[in-house]
Amino acid sequence: MKLVKCLHKWLSVLVAIQLFIWLGSGLFFNLMDSTKAKGNENLVSNLAVKKIDHKRLLEPSYILSQFNKEQPQKPVNSIKLIQLIDQPYYLLNHYLGLYQHFYNEHSLVNAYTGEMKTIDKIMAQTLAISTYSGRGNIGVTERISPPIDDFPKEKNIVWRVNFDDELYTSVYIDASSGRVVGHSNDDKRFADFFFMLHFMDYGTLGSFNNWQIILFSILTLMFCITGFVWTLDLLIKGRYKIR
Amino acid sequence: MSWYRNSRKYHKWLMLFVGFQFVVWSVSGAFMVIFDLDYIHGDSLIVNEPGVLNKSQINYSIAKLYRHYPNAKNVELTNLQGNAVYRFSNDKGKHLLNADTGSLLSPINENYAVGIAKYSYIQPDTAIKQVSLITENPPFELSARHLPVWRVDFEGFSNPSLYISTLTGEIVTKRHLFWRIFDWMFSFHVMDYVEEDASNKLLFVFIVLSLVASLFGLILTYFYVFKRNSNKKKIVKESV
Repeated sequence: MKLVKCLHKWLSVLVAIQLFIWLGSGLFFNLMDSTKAKGNENLVSNLAVKKIDHKRLLEPSYILSQFNKEQPQKPVNSIKLIQLIDQPYYLLNHYLGLYQHFYNEHSLVNAYTGEMKTIDKIMAQTLAISTYSGRGNIGVTERISPPIDDFPKEKNIVWRVNFDDELYTSVYIDASSGRVVGHSNDDKRFADFFFMLHFMDYGTLGSFNNWQIILFSILTLMFCITGFVWTLDLLIKGRYKIR
Repeated sequence: MSWYRNSRKYHKWLMLFVGFQFVVWSVSGAFMVIFDLDYIHGDSLIVNEPGVLNKSQINYSIAKLYRHYPNAKNVELTNLQGNAVYRFSNDKGKHLLNADTGSLLSPINENYAVGIAKYSYIQPDTAIKQVSLITENPPFELSARHLPVWRVDFEGFSNPSLYISTLTGEIVTKRHLFWRIFDWMFSFHVMDYVEEDASNKLLFVFIVLSLVASLFGLILTYFYVFKRNSNKKKIVKESV
């Protein structure tokens, strides 16, 4: 028992600060508005799409053979018909990640003309506006490589389109596919700060499998078990008496 | 009574009520941070080799597809087990077509689903324990939006299961023992054993009590550890 008590006391010194951070951030998650924390305040819920004129579509097999001729070093895994700003495109996948936010490689081809399309600043801004329901104006628009502060798990190059609304909304567009990675704003950033603290993710890698939390979780586990054993010991010795 | 004696009393009593939850939090927390999340998600259960599209396999044109299915949406030409296929949806749901002949492959039968599972599983020679068709009442580990699916259970100590959509032939969910434990751990961590929602009253009460109990513990740490030498005699006397 002496060892248990000694361990409990000294472990308390080591884990104290982090334990309060965990309880405090835990309380925050318990009380926070989880809708706001998603950062989708200004996200358009239903994107209107123009009808595709099927008769004007080029055949995917033609697109495939053209692409194989022009860039034989890039394999094509799939060809998906998508729509970006009222214009149909074939989205060619060259490297398929297990999930969309994992590293992927795409090309965009105009589905009516067969022209290759690269998402430039103007197109990124137009795409961002089409998903944005707020009243802000477009601010800085940048093409950025991961890691991305607002979406630390995202592994693809994105366009970040900032809006000057009250929440400082940023819209993220996958630079190779035009996929809307997501919206972020100050509500989400505020909640993300607590997640960072709770997960001890001080390198903001978007993960809770880092060495510092593994170390502290083991120390805390020992801390809690020694405390629990101490409590049991007090119970057995009859030290819980109601006077 | 002194700060020390009060803190000792309240720490002792409060921890009688919330101490066990501290053990639960630390056990579940440690489990969740120690096991890599990608592993928990079952990413290492499957091979991710999509297969390259080959023009000679694509003899059914998108024009024909639209003639047969005028309301087709989200049309995608892709590879399934080395064969080119079309996936699309319309008002009747999702569909899978052979891109060579245009024949409808969905809903896929058991053999086809088993073929996909074996083709994708990390160890292709693993024996299959059980195959079942789920059209309603999905198990807790499967989202209802994926229905209907074939569930393919493999042999192995972690009881891996692959869920394959009967309509698209896609692996929509992968589960194994450690995901299932993780899920339990999470629900115990947030103290919501049904919805797994962190904004519940029970959790609130426990966090607040835990914060108070921990503050008294912090005062004890201060006395025991930092005022140890100057107060040693006093503490010994008081604790007798």
